[in-house]
Amino acid sequence: MSTYDLNFARWVYENVDGGDKMALCMQCGTCSGSCPLGAQMDYGPRKLFMMVRAGLKDKVLESNTLWNCVSCYNCVVRCPRQVPVKYVLHSLGTAAVRAGIPAATKSDNARFARAFWWSASKLGRTDERIVTALFYFSYGLSKGFKMAMANLPVALGLVKTKRMHIGAPYMCKNKGELKTILAKAAEIEARHAK
Amino acid sequence: MTKTMNYYPGCSSQGSGIHLDTSLKAVMGKFGISFREIEDWNCCGASVGHICQGHLPVAALSARNLAAAAAAGPEDVVSPCAACYLNTHHTNEEIRNNPEMKAEINEALGAVGKSYDGSLKVRHVCEVLVKDVGVEALKSKVTKPLTGLKVAGWVGCQTVRPFANTEAGGQWETYDEPSFLDDFINASGATAVPFKAKTKCCGGSVAVMSPDKTLELIKDILDEVKASGAQVVATPCPLCLTNMEMYQPEINKRYGTDFNFPVVFYSQLLALAFGMDAHKDAGLHQGLIPADVVVAAAK
Ligand code: SF4
Ligand code: SF4
Repeated sequence: MSTYDLNFARWVYENVDGGDKMALCMQCGTCSGSCPLGAQMDYGPRKLFMMVRAGLKDKVLESNTLWNCVSCYNCVVRCPRQVPVKYVLHSLGTAAVRAGIPAATKSDNARFARAFWWSASKLGRTDERIVTALFYFSYGLSKGFKMAMANLPVALGLVKTKRMHIGAPYMCKNKGELKTILAKAAEIEARHAK
Repeated sequence: MTKTMNYYPGCSSQGSGIHLDTSLKAVMGKFGISFREIEDWNCCGASVGHICQGHLPVAALSARNLAAAAAAGPEDVVSPCAACYLNTHHTNEEIRNNPEMKAEINEALGAVGKSYDGSLKVRHVCEVLVKDVGVEALKSKVTKPLTGLKVAGWVGCQTVRPFANTEAGGQWETYDEPSFLDDFINASGATAVPFKAKTKCCGGSVAVMSPDKTLELIKDILDEVKASGAQVVATPCPLCLTNMEMYQPEINKRYGTDFNFPVVFYSQLLALAFGMDAHKDAGLHQGLIPADVVVAAAK
């Protein structure tokens, strides 16, 4: 059963990236119509935005729409009201993860994002080997192993063509500086979340 | 004429997109443009960074790079990677246009005694090739035209969306009918064939994490490649290239197709046509699907 939370729309307009612009949505459907993943979404962006307005908080935050956006920016350049649809969806995804919604925290995207952020923030660089390994094994040992094996031919191909190096990861020299900047940024971000 | 630019190569330049970096530097050298790499640059956060972090930490990644670039000199920042360009440009525009973001980003940078005021211009390398170098100049350097080679120019998404047609983005291309890539291909002496999937999306990082959702997107693009009669696909985007290369075997298995199209960067075609070394300069031995047909075309 879905509950109606009439403060939800206001919260989204005020707290989600691009939320203020989302209030201008005129429900034309251009975004949903130009979305390459539209067919795989529980609801297209247009419908999802309608549901935000209606206060269907749980349904919105549990929907797979938030995880099926491939960041192609078709919607962003086509929306007649300049709603930054992609940013709104991703930021709603962040809200769903922060709310601890299992469909969100266990999504492929959240797993991948955590693996990716580990590499980007700790090393200062995306190491494609580490990101994929952390991602695969976030599903547990046996599934992770299966995923890694399935991807082995590609990895070997990349090594053979010198597009994946063997040995220590590339890193920023001044990792301490990066860490301090990111910690401060996270602190400011948390100030907003309050 | 020599000209230096602040260069942000991005993480793929040390991994799966290494041959974009190599061939691009070779091409730019012909026009006296040298890239000064941003000192100790870090990852831009790509399109997934913010899901668990929120907006500001990701913006801070780009801000650290921009601060380092500004400290090195006032020259434009250029990136060859669609996602790196998008994130860096986006953060730069936020710093320029949103006083609150500017203050918060500088508060984060201030934790290590740094700051950045938004003074630099952030550009995609392809815009630099179109505007500062020019297609005619590209043609003038060709010594070994790739005559007869039929190429499908696949721009993908983020190289042109959402900024190519905005004022801050340089207003250098349209979103749906970009012509720059075909111009580069034709400049090399090859033939850019009419190709309907020019700005279709490969699935980006979702293709890496959840291929079940996106294989069909890539298959649809490959169908158009086949219909176009092209022998090879050329793209400016490192993620497009790797996604299309690595998923062809899986697509063939699932859909009963027989795709085996080499995928190369536009800069590899240009470096080869400029008479440079097919391997050392153009990196044409680095495809997961061998690009011998490209190398053989240079005469
Ligand atoms: S394209 Fe814009 S105005 Fe139209 S439904 Fe989508 S968000 Fe609303
Ligand atoms: S950016 Fe996301 S929501 Fe927008 S059209 Fe592309 S996939 Fe769909």
